[in-house]
Amino acid sequence: MKRRHFLATTGLSLGLALTVSTVAWAENAKLKIGFVGVTSGPAAAWGISNQRSMETRAAWLNELGGVDIGGTVYDVEIVPFDDQKDPKRAIAGMEKMAQEGIHYVVGPNVDDGAAAVRPVAEQNGIMYFPYAFPKELYTPPASNAILGMVANYQSGPAIYKYLMENKGVKKVAFIAGNESDPLSQRDSGAAAARELGLEVVSDSVTYQMDTTDFTPVLLPVIQAAPDLLVLSGVSPANAPQLIRSARELGYAGLISTETAQDAAVLAEGAGELANGFISVGGASTPELASDAMREFVDRYTKMFGEYNDESNTKVYALEYIIETLKANPAAIDNVEEFKKTMDTFEAPNPFMVGDAKLTYVGTTSFGQKRQVSVPLVVNEFKDGKFETLFVAQVD
Amino acid sequence: MSTTRLAGVLAFLLGVFVLVPLFINLTGRWDFYYTLTSVALLSVAAAGVWLTFYIGRINIGQGAYALTGGYVSAILITQYGVSFWLTLPLAGLFCAAVSVLIGLPILRLRGVYFAMVTLVLTEVARLTALALPVTNGAKGITSIPLPGELSLFGLTIIPDFSTLGNPKLAFYLMATVLMVLTYLVLWRIVNSRLGHLCRSLQQNEELSASIGVNTAMLRVLAYAISSFFGGLAGAIFVAISQSIYPSSFVVQDSVNFMLYCFLGGLGYVFGPMLGTLLLYFGWDLLSIAKEYQLLIYSGALIALMLVLPNGVLSLLDKKGGRK
Amino acid sequence: MEQILANGLYLGAQYALIALGLTLIFSLMNVLNFAHGQMYVFGGFVTYTVVAQLGLPFIVGLIASAVVLAVMGALIEKFLFRPVIRKSKRDESTMLLAAGIAFFLDAVILLLFGEKQRGVPKIVNGVLNWDMRIIMPYDRILIAVLAVALIVGFILFMQYSRTGRAMRALAQDRMAAQLMGVDVDRYSMIGFALGAMLAGLVGGLLVTITGINLGMGGPTSVKAFLMIMIGGAGVISGAIAGGFILGMMESVGLTVLAAYGDITYLVIFASLMVFLAIRPQGLMGKPWG
Repeated sequence: MKRRHFLATTGLSLGLALTVSTVAWAENAKLKIGFVGVTSGPAAAWGISNQRSMETRAAWLNELGGVDIGGTVYDVEIVPFDDQKDPKRAIAGMEKMAQEGIHYVVGPNVDDGAAAVRPVAEQNGIMYFPYAFPKELYTPPASNAILGMVANYQSGPAIYKYLMENKGVKKVAFIAGNESDPLSQRDSGAAAARELGLEVVSDSVTYQMDTTDFTPVLLPVIQAAPDLLVLSGVSPANAPQLIRSARELGYAGLISTETAQDAAVLAEGAGELANGFISVGGASTPELASDAMREFVDRYTKMFGEYNDESNTKVYALEYIIETLKANPAAIDNVEEFKKTMDTFEAPNPFMVGDAKLTYVGTTSFGQKRQVSVPLVVNEFKDGKFETLFVAQVD
Repeated sequence: MSTTRLAGVLAFLLGVFVLVPLFINLTGRWDFYYTLTSVALLSVAAAGVWLTFYIGRINIGQGAYALTGGYVSAILITQYGVSFWLTLPLAGLFCAAVSVLIGLPILRLRGVYFAMVTLVLTEVARLTALALPVTNGAKGITSIPLPGELSLFGLTIIPDFSTLGNPKLAFYLMATVLMVLTYLVLWRIVNSRLGHLCRSLQQNEELSASIGVNTAMLRVLAYAISSFFGGLAGAIFVAISQSIYPSSFVVQDSVNFMLYCFLGGLGYVFGPMLGTLLLYFGWDLLSIAKEYQLLIYSGALIALMLVLPNGVLSLLDKKGGRK
Repeated sequence: MEQILANGLYLGAQYALIALGLTLIFSLMNVLNFAHGQMYVFGGFVTYTVVAQLGLPFIVGLIASAVVLAVMGALIEKFLFRPVIRKSKRDESTMLLAAGIAFFLDAVILLLFGEKQRGVPKIVNGVLNWDMRIIMPYDRILIAVLAVALIVGFILFMQYSRTGRAMRALAQDRMAAQLMGVDVDRYSMIGFALGAMLAGLVGGLLVTITGINLGMGGPTSVKAFLMIMIGGAGVISGAIAGGFILGMMESVGLTVLAAYGDITYLVIFASLMVFLAIRPQGLMGKPWG
């Protein structure tokens, strides 16, 4: 009796959940933008900072009265999906986006997920903005993916070159976690360094992502005596520990990475040992941030309690989607129109001082414009804050 | 008894092949095709895990075979131009062969020891895929073509997937057919002499060895069948995502397969299928809960375990009835 | 060479402490606690909150971690594991419950403490540098000493206290212990609380060195499983041995195999499988634990 009751309730609530999720709101014109990424588990920091920066910007735009695209005013709504860093789930997420009639999706955050969603995105006419670097995603015949940030094979050479010229770096060592993304970044980074004429003294040391003591990992690398230690594709969780262990082993050279980091995390995890650490960031350093960027950081902090510096690089994808749609309203449900507009699109970059522009780039790397142009801001960590080392552009 | 069972099977087939597509057509929830395809494939792999449970072994290593199967299929298709349909059984057979090699030594372990070795096996498979040149290491294998045409004596049995207007439906049908076949095989095994022998292993291995059961042989056989299922599921997932990475199947997947079996009920052949449906589909439906998704999901899991510690299917048991 | 040994010992001390709690719970209740890693993470976050957010001394944070986790462990045993064990037909069913709890704690940690990596400032500054042969920061040495002290304290407790003796009796033969008048329910609860407390203490200790983030739970559980497999499941000396062996293996393996990079861990894991295939009960476990 009781069990039957239990079954009936379960069935009922399941049915209810189905209906609720199919019912669509129809009070205001909504512009739905998807997010498929990892917001739980070990890599949650990547996806959460991503989703939150989208939600912050969306709330801000809606507060200003929405966005005007081709004469219709839309409220921006972010539809998130947690793929748990599982490529199989990521496909389900992309299917859900297609189901909701969404044509523009930010994410996934990692290589395998980005590759796995490609068939779904292409079949359903979805443009997606992965934070993953494999070139096959962006080179023809692939055409629906747009790289949402600067790839490490673009930022790496710029950083190495700067350090060669300004700090006299000659010998470089690479260390990476034994996962797809970091290993691929290590390989392309080492190749770029060799091309620049640097001597790569160590590029075979890897570590498990769950390492709790990096001393044994770093020991052989430090013994190779590099001038520059590159932490390829390092996650924000591992970066402070690696820096700390390297410094405690007596390493005195430079340390850099091509991924975005959070200053608070570095300060807590490595303290002053992290001084001089070089990473790639967005445009929130005082020298570059516009008033809009400062307001964004304020709003983010108000909404979620604490800002995450990784969001600096993740604020752009949504901005590009909306601005491109404004430039060509026909693209709102037709990605072919979007692709056409991409070639000529240009709008001012609201987050940076000066006359920086939002454009699509990537011709050099991918043979077509499939990358958002964000300033390549290289930061140096100093006493709990990032300072801009130099700014470059990717073409 | 047998007529009710027949009716049950027919109702199930009707549901899977007619009602579900009909429901999807009516409601327009096309995304359910992929979710249900995943459920079908994961339940195929979970069926294998269930079979190892049936001989009294906790298997947390099915992800390793799913990954292996996926790579076998991907490598054969991209590097040797083999038809997908041929790679499917080959992937399963390769996994079965590997599992015999690995199983011979490790199946002597029992209880948590076996469980832990299989857990390590998943990680070993991932690291091997990262290190081997043939798997293309960290960069994975991408841009794998969709399954081509399958024809016998010039007669097209299955059309080329890339020419289909709706490959989702095709994948759904392929996965569910495979699921039905798998559970048919599983049901047949359980209700055969082999099944009786397996049960004797689960109860008391020494005893069954002492009455002349070749326990070592039996264990390896069950494990090989289990791994065969894992390989099949992996290969089809690769066909859907058209790509494979070392991280396509990880420890978490292996643990999930085990959980599907537990949730459905270890004493019931169809337990893993139901468990997969509830856990996988449940997670998808809960995505409306946003940041509380995992909280509700795990809370429900714990509650379910408190109410029905022997699996959801134990609901079917009559009071004090058969086990 | 000295450096490699020192690294191995330091890793071993922290690993052994993690494995101790897991093996204690396993020996008492035959439960493989999948949530052990999450408890470790929770302990780390409690210490972080007390020390970094509230600005209280480190020792207060450590005690807070121990208390919070002990209470949590006791509650989990009483209200979750006990009824499920009583009702389920197969011992293994508790694995689903344990995994559910692991997910649940993951969710709670994410909601309570956020997604970011957290760390507590160094408690001691400076680095010991013995002639460039051993380089070891003082805080690591302190943590290693604390860990060893906790291990010794735990062994003494299990060996000589009344509670410890009761728990050992329970681990050896549940039925016999019950007949001899040991309150099984009570000591199972105490044992679980103690195991959880140990996890929390390690979390609290290591947050000063490695920091903590919500992703560390699952992998930590898996590592702890490895250690108790090496030493033998359910045996306390086995867990300690397993911890130190795994620490040494990593330290030596990483140095010797550095040139081959990508396969270091493959070799470590594969040799572990071979070892277990040859010696199925670990170093000193009961066979077929």
